[in-house]
Amino acid sequence: MANPKILIVDDDKGIRTQLKWGLDGFDVITADSRANALEQFRLHHPPLVTLDLGLPPDAEGTTEGFATLQEILKKAPETKVVIVSGSEDAGNSEKAKSQGAFDFYPKPLEIESLQRLIRKALADYQMTPQK
Amino acid sequence: MFIEIISFGSSTVLFLILGLVMLTGRRDNLPKLMLAMASLASALWSGSVTYQAAYGATLGGESYLLESTLLLELFRSLAWFAFLLAMLRTAYKASDQVNKHFKITFAGLSVFVVGLMLLVLYRVSGGSYFEIIAGNDVLIGHLLISIGGIVIVEQLYRNTSDEHRWALKYLWIGIGGMFAYDFYLYSDAFLFQRIDNELWNARGFIHAMVVPLIAVAIKREMQWSLGDDSIDIFLSRRLVFHTTALLASGAYLIFIGFGGYYVRDMGGDWGVVAQATFLFAAVMILAVFIFSGQIRARLRVMIDKHFFHYKYDYREEWLRIIRTLSADSNSSLSLHLRSIRSLAQIIDSPGGLLVMERENGFYESDERWNYDAISVRESSDSSFIRFLAEQQFVISLDEFEKDPDMYTRLGPLEIPEWILNNKQAWLVVPLMLQDHLLGFVVLLRSPAHERYFNWEDSDLLKTAGRQAASHLAQYEAVQALVSAKRFEEVNKLSAFIVHDIKNMVGQLSMVVSNAAKHRNNPMFIDDAIITVENSVNKMNKLLQRLREGTDNDNFTSICLCKLLEENLRNCSRAGALPIPVLNCVNQNVMVTADRDRMSVNLAHIIQNAQDATDDSGSIIVRVRTQGKFAVVEVEDTGVGMDEAFIHDKLFQPFESTKGTMGIGVFQVREYVNKLNGHLDVESVLGKGTVFRLHIPLSPSQEVTQNPHVVHLNERN
Repeated sequence: MANPKILIVDDDKGIRTQLKWGLDGFDVITADSRANALEQFRLHHPPLVTLDLGLPPDAEGTTEGFATLQEILKKAPETKVVIVSGSEDAGNSEKAKSQGAFDFYPKPLEIESLQRLIRKALADYQMTPQK
Repeated sequence: MFIEIISFGSSTVLFLILGLVMLTGRRDNLPKLMLAMASLASALWSGSVTYQAAYGATLGGESYLLESTLLLELFRSLAWFAFLLAMLRTAYKASDQVNKHFKITFAGLSVFVVGLMLLVLYRVSGGSYFEIIAGNDVLIGHLLISIGGIVIVEQLYRNTSDEHRWALKYLWIGIGGMFAYDFYLYSDAFLFQRIDNELWNARGFIHAMVVPLIAVAIKREMQWSLGDDSIDIFLSRRLVFHTTALLASGAYLIFIGFGGYYVRDMGGDWGVVAQATFLFAAVMILAVFIFSGQIRARLRVMIDKHFFHYKYDYREEWLRIIRTLSADSNSSLSLHLRSIRSLAQIIDSPGGLLVMERENGFYESDERWNYDAISVRESSDSSFIRFLAEQQFVISLDEFEKDPDMYTRLGPLEIPEWILNNKQAWLVVPLMLQDHLLGFVVLLRSPAHERYFNWEDSDLLKTAGRQAASHLAQYEAVQALVSAKRFEEVNKLSAFIVHDIKNMVGQLSMVVSNAAKHRNNPMFIDDAIITVENSVNKMNKLLQRLREGTDNDNFTSICLCKLLEENLRNCSRAGALPIPVLNCVNQNVMVTADRDRMSVNLAHIIQNAQDATDDSGSIIVRVRTQGKFAVVEVEDTGVGMDEAFIHDKLFQPFESTKGTMGIGVFQVREYVNKLNGHLDVESVLGKGTVFRLHIPLSPSQEVTQNPHVVHLNERN
């Protein structure tokens, strides 16, 4: 059985690289921007996406991240999107969940806890009726 | 006779010198010319009297010289009136709020003098000097002239601004003294129906004494700018009282003159006794009248009522308050100091202390003007603060001392010790911002003016206090905004630091945890090196940004068409519909901005258009130039917005028709404004919207005029 696909969306090259090594039980695809993420999503249809809210060109804001979230869920509402953000604003977590994100993972990233969350999300995905 | 020659001779010489001096130099100044005329007229008259005394034409004699002397005296009076009226005309010019009553009065006075001269001309056909001069009608004329002279001089003196009073007071004292002596001489003559020889002889000396005083005034005011508007002469309300009191005194003396004459004529053997008794009683009544504060106060109220509706000229007062409060930013005086002064000047107070509310809830001393250094701290719970806040009253400390019940019956009030200990403290003015006590000002008593304080002063001070409070509150708000903005910048910076550090900690800790598993894999080692290198780059960027602060826009020259092509390509890749069409009316439209921020802002506007438009609709993005601006026009065929939404909500953060955060348009406008551009919007409900971003062109750009249309959906 093939490893489940995961799309990692983060503008930080170091994060993307190390997550690829850390999530070695998964088929990891990466993207660094909204356009790139949506293209990869269209190509691979991953059940799970980890999404950084600060994407270029609005790397210090959250508009690109939220726009990506909305586009992904518009295309495939059953997708489990885990928001990964270094923002200190607690409102972003509430907003992400209200817009359909599976969970909010605050940075800094720690592989083991992220893996646990990913597994939980994938299990949830299995339970969700597919279109 | 000898005394008379010396007396009037000295007057002649001195006035002649003064007149000639005044004729030297510039003669285009009317008051200066008038002063020369008056001096020469005085010299002529004095000379005539001297000549008479020297060559035997005594006062009791009969000659044409006597008659012409009499006319010359009136001419002299007229000349002095002309000078004083010329000065008054300057006052009229300086202020357009002079009361009509005065204009009529002074015009009447000049007509009167001319009339009197005609009367004298008529009378000189016969009779001795004494008969003419002692004729009651002519005497009354002289009396009125002297009273009129005093009235005008006093008016001018009272209304000379402080800085000119130093010099001009000698002029007013000299001329006023001359008229005062005439009044004394002629009232005595009127009472006793004869001119006192001693008084007459002294008149020459008196007039001679006036000349040095005028000379001092001229020396002090070398530029002799009396006729210029530069002298700030204006008629004040207080003057009305003094003038009227003076006129009343003159009328009163004339009245007792009639009384004395009547009693002596009709009293038979008792004549002299009756006259003396009447005179004494009259003087007593006058003294009582002058020294009675109550009568004076009533008279003042009466004058206020009849001459003016209000004690203040509110237009002038208000303009002065606003002028003081709104001094330009170059003014060395702080707004707090100006607030004290704006209140103090209303009631001629020489100083004051401003006490302001602080964040800790206490009212503490803030700024002071001519007020002893003092540290004040009043609790907002104190009866004093509560009284000011609730009653919003101006507290007069004199009134409070005399009748505390007047205040305490409104509510408990205990004046703080530090105010009571300052014997110069006079008034406490609350600074109310709506119903909130922002602070208060303690004003000092004016040593120069004895002022009565009534409801009108209180109301004006209270209202001016409100005006000062709103200026102060606005100032505080601006200061708070500046602090908040700085705080926000620091917050932004710290958020950025925390964000980047978290990323670095995350990737480095992952390197460590991944190494446990993949350390022997050369590819992992390569990636680990890349990750560490990435972290080092991030740290360097972070350091650079910390050095530069938060405003780290990297300004470069951007080609808007290329940037939009890129943006729209991303848009189409993301699959959002409808796909916008780019129409570059002008190519190479260059602007100077941060590329990333410009891209985000353009993306916001395009995304807004997509959100508002059905997938089957259309969006056109045009780029063109207009004057010194590049214009990016995003036109959609979406739902549109009504005018109320555009006006009230579109540019407000967190307002949206889509249920999202709605920060986009607000943020775009802020950014475009920051670039010295502007954002326009046109919309028709149900038909669509056009957003136009006007961004200043880069200074050195060249624009070609070849239209270029890119259909991105065709490219991809």
